[in-house]
Amino acid sequence: MLKLTKVSKIYEGKVAYRALTDIDLEIEKGEFVAIMGPSGSGKTTLLNIISTNDSPTTGQVEIDGRDPHKLKKNALAKFRRNELGFIFQDFNLLHTLTVEENIVLPLTLDGTRVKEMKEKAHQLAKSLGIEAIMSKRTYEISGGQAQRVAIARAMIHEPKLLLADEPTGNLDSKASKDVMGMLVSINEREKTSLLMVTHDPQAASYSDRVVFIRDGRLHSEIHRGESRQAFFQKIIDMLSLMGGDGNDFSSVRV
Amino acid sequence: MTFRQFAFNNVLRNKRLYIAYFLSSLFTVMVFFTFAIFAFHPAFSGGKVNQNALIGMAVAGGIIYVFSFFFVLYSMSSFLQSRKKEFGLLIMFGASNKQIRWMVFLENILIGFFATVGGILTGLVFAKAILLIAENVLIIEESLYFYFPTWAIIITFISFIFLFFCISLFVSFILRTNKLVDLIKGDKKSKGEPKASVILSVFAALLIAVGYGVSLYVEGLQVVAALIPVVLVVTLGTYLLFTQLSVYIIRRLKGNKLVFWRKTNMLLFSDLSFRMKDNARTFFMVAIISTVAFSAIGTLYGFQSYLTKGMKEVNQYTLSYSPWGNDSNETIENDLSIINGILEEEKIDSKMETLELTYFDNLIPDARVLVVKASDYNRFAALIGESEVHPAEQEAIVVEQSSAMLSEGPKASELLMDSPIALKDGTIVLPSQVVDTEVLNIMTGYYVVHDNVFEKFTSPDYRDFIAVWKAEDAGKEQLIEVGSKINEAIEYKVTAIDYQLYEIDKTFGPILFIGLFIGIVFFVSAGSFLYFRLFTDLEGEKQKFSSIAKIGLTDSELKKVVNRQVALLFFSPIVVALIHGAVALTALSNFFNYNLTVEASIVLGSFTLIQIIYFLIVRYFYVKQVMRAVM
Ligand SMILES: Nc1ncnc2c1ncn2[C@@H]1O[C@H](COP(=O)(O)OP(=O)(O)OP(=O)(O)O)[C@@H](O)[C@H]1O
Ligand SMILES: [Mg+2]
Repeated sequence: MLKLTKVSKIYEGKVAYRALTDIDLEIEKGEFVAIMGPSGSGKTTLLNIISTNDSPTTGQVEIDGRDPHKLKKNALAKFRRNELGFIFQDFNLLHTLTVEENIVLPLTLDGTRVKEMKEKAHQLAKSLGIEAIMSKRTYEISGGQAQRVAIARAMIHEPKLLLADEPTGNLDSKASKDVMGMLVSINEREKTSLLMVTHDPQAASYSDRVVFIRDGRLHSEIHRGESRQAFFQKIIDMLSLMGGDGNDFSSVRV
Repeated sequence: MTFRQFAFNNVLRNKRLYIAYFLSSLFTVMVFFTFAIFAFHPAFSGGKVNQNALIGMAVAGGIIYVFSFFFVLYSMSSFLQSRKKEFGLLIMFGASNKQIRWMVFLENILIGFFATVGGILTGLVFAKAILLIAENVLIIEESLYFYFPTWAIIITFISFIFLFFCISLFVSFILRTNKLVDLIKGDKKSKGEPKASVILSVFAALLIAVGYGVSLYVEGLQVVAALIPVVLVVTLGTYLLFTQLSVYIIRRLKGNKLVFWRKTNMLLFSDLSFRMKDNARTFFMVAIISTVAFSAIGTLYGFQSYLTKGMKEVNQYTLSYSPWGNDSNETIENDLSIINGILEEEKIDSKMETLELTYFDNLIPDARVLVVKASDYNRFAALIGESEVHPAEQEAIVVEQSSAMLSEGPKASELLMDSPIALKDGTIVLPSQVVDTEVLNIMTGYYVVHDNVFEKFTSPDYRDFIAVWKAEDAGKEQLIEVGSKINEAIEYKVTAIDYQLYEIDKTFGPILFIGLFIGIVFFVSAGSFLYFRLFTDLEGEKQKFSSIAKIGLTDSELKKVVNRQVALLFFSPIVVALIHGAVALTALSNFFNYNLTVEASIVLGSFTLIQIIYFLIVRYFYVKQVMRAVM
């Protein structure tokens, strides 16, 4: 489904900065992978490269057998719209639109029938618990609600690969459990591949596999075994091993 | 870092944000200043220019100033709108309201000061350019040389520093009323759509319809009486049109998901309604300003063509001479030889024809009528290439000059056609047809009869004399020279058409120039209102489009949205102004009872063309900017 080979990224500037070095990563269809690492380790950069919002300095990205970075601009736009779903760290909602309009935006661009759009939006909103705010504007909703709107927008066109940058960053533990539950059920039901960046070991424990990066390099990865509880513990251990302060990640939320 | 340093750095580091506001202020100052340069030009204050023109200029100056005020105010308010969040954060971090107001005040004074100085400097260059154009295009006696405009500088400087001072005070007061949360969410929150009510929307349509109806219905002097009420009604109607009707329409469109959720419509309309308040005001101002421009230029152009075209049509001969009633034959002989002498002197080949005109009472009721021999008529006709007439013996041909008919009422020909002529020997001559020519140039109409019949008209009740000349391939300059010489030698008795047109152009030149200048200034400032409207929102637009591009937006979709957005902005007020202008010019032509279709089409057509070019240029740069942000 997704295959990265020797991807490196150097930010040019007054001082060139090497944000990623030789990243190899493969994600199967229907797999749910979490990426963790200390702040500034290059997680968002990696996600941007996969999402084609940024291009790698060297190396290759392959999604579904195609290299999106080699697509023409228009084809790329269509590709993003149809194959990929994004949940951004900063939501990236349009504040001139209402919640509902934000959610259906990707579909309107493709000329989907209004009835179909409404149905889909309604369904998603129901499962995310945001029906009540559908006609509100973005400044009238909470951070957590905005997060869920962003999730709804990313999922409305049933993408093959869903990319999420800290989808639970703004949520309390109850809400974050709900959201993770949502993501897992989509992942299982639609066989959507999921790549999620997170700081939250709780959220990461919902995935099949956690990949750790540090200073722009792959550090290690751990697979989920039988129990989520054990997986969670392993993640915490790995984080403290990596030098990040394990207790940083709210161990209270068990 | 003191707070003052902070304020200063804030301006310097946020250049891009400030530049739109700065430029629009600078431009406004420039327009006003250029205008002031002309208003205070020594050539105009010398008293040679029509007093009405001066009043017109003063009024125009006032309008420009008022619009400047609103324009600067609007630019400033959208500018502050985009910075609300910044203020919110500052307050949150402990800046006092007083400090913020002081900062905004300082900033605005600073920007205002530099905009004023910059506007004056660019205005000097701009004025120089306009003067160059004016000198080459128009005949202006008191040549509009370039002078050092001390007065204009002083007036502009004081007016605008005062204006910026007032606005700065005003704005720092506005800030006080806002709550912190509102400030922080400022960039997400719309300034609000004006309230749209169905009743007011209908009222808007009604007002405009009534205004149009009245201005198209009234004729002659009624036009003057109707002018002010109609202007008020239409202005109010236009205001409501943009603030109510358009809001209402967009709301309806937004409410209709089939339309609103179709492809890129959502992006287009949501934005329109998000900025509806700003847009509605801008549209209103632009529409009114453009209407003023169209009408001013259309009126002057129409008036000039009314004066000159009529004269050109009526006066087909190069020169025509008619003596005073009591001039003796010697005087006439003498005059003719003077004229021929001057023509010879200037080496102009010309043909001359003379004729004794014979008028008769009693042919038609209450009037004296001229009767001309067919052969005489044909001599004159040949001179200006008109076709000859050959009336039968018992036939009279009625000649009239319809292009000279300015007044209303029954045509001269009707009366003449209805009056059979009974001669003393019992012969009856029947008027048979009307011929419309400029031969002989007699406004009231006359009979042409067969040479034989003419002999039977005995003892005319009144005699007059006419002599005409038609020059053969002489230059215009030459003819003007001749005209001027003849005019000096024999006052009032000679009509030298080229010279007279030249004189009209000369007196009309400065007035036309001022009108044209005012019109162009208005039009350009209307255009720049639109441009800066776009420019102010550019940063937000860039952000928006790059957000959407992340989800996936093709170039053609982006272009489509931007295109329509810019087109709507540029054309909706102009279309309204064009219609207003067309109606105004129609009313004007009713007033003069003179057909202005050609003139109006030329004026409105050229403005449309300019606007299209303007649109294409602005769109090009705007799309480029947005595309760059999306990349
Ligand atoms: N546009 C840029 N130009 C230059 N350097 C950048 C740019 N974007 C990110 N960086 C640098 O690259 C490194 C990785 O950034 P990135 O945003 O990927 O971190 P992250 O792992 O997502 O961190 P966080 O968990 O805080 O979101 C950081 O050191 C950052 O300073
Ligand atoms: Mg990040």
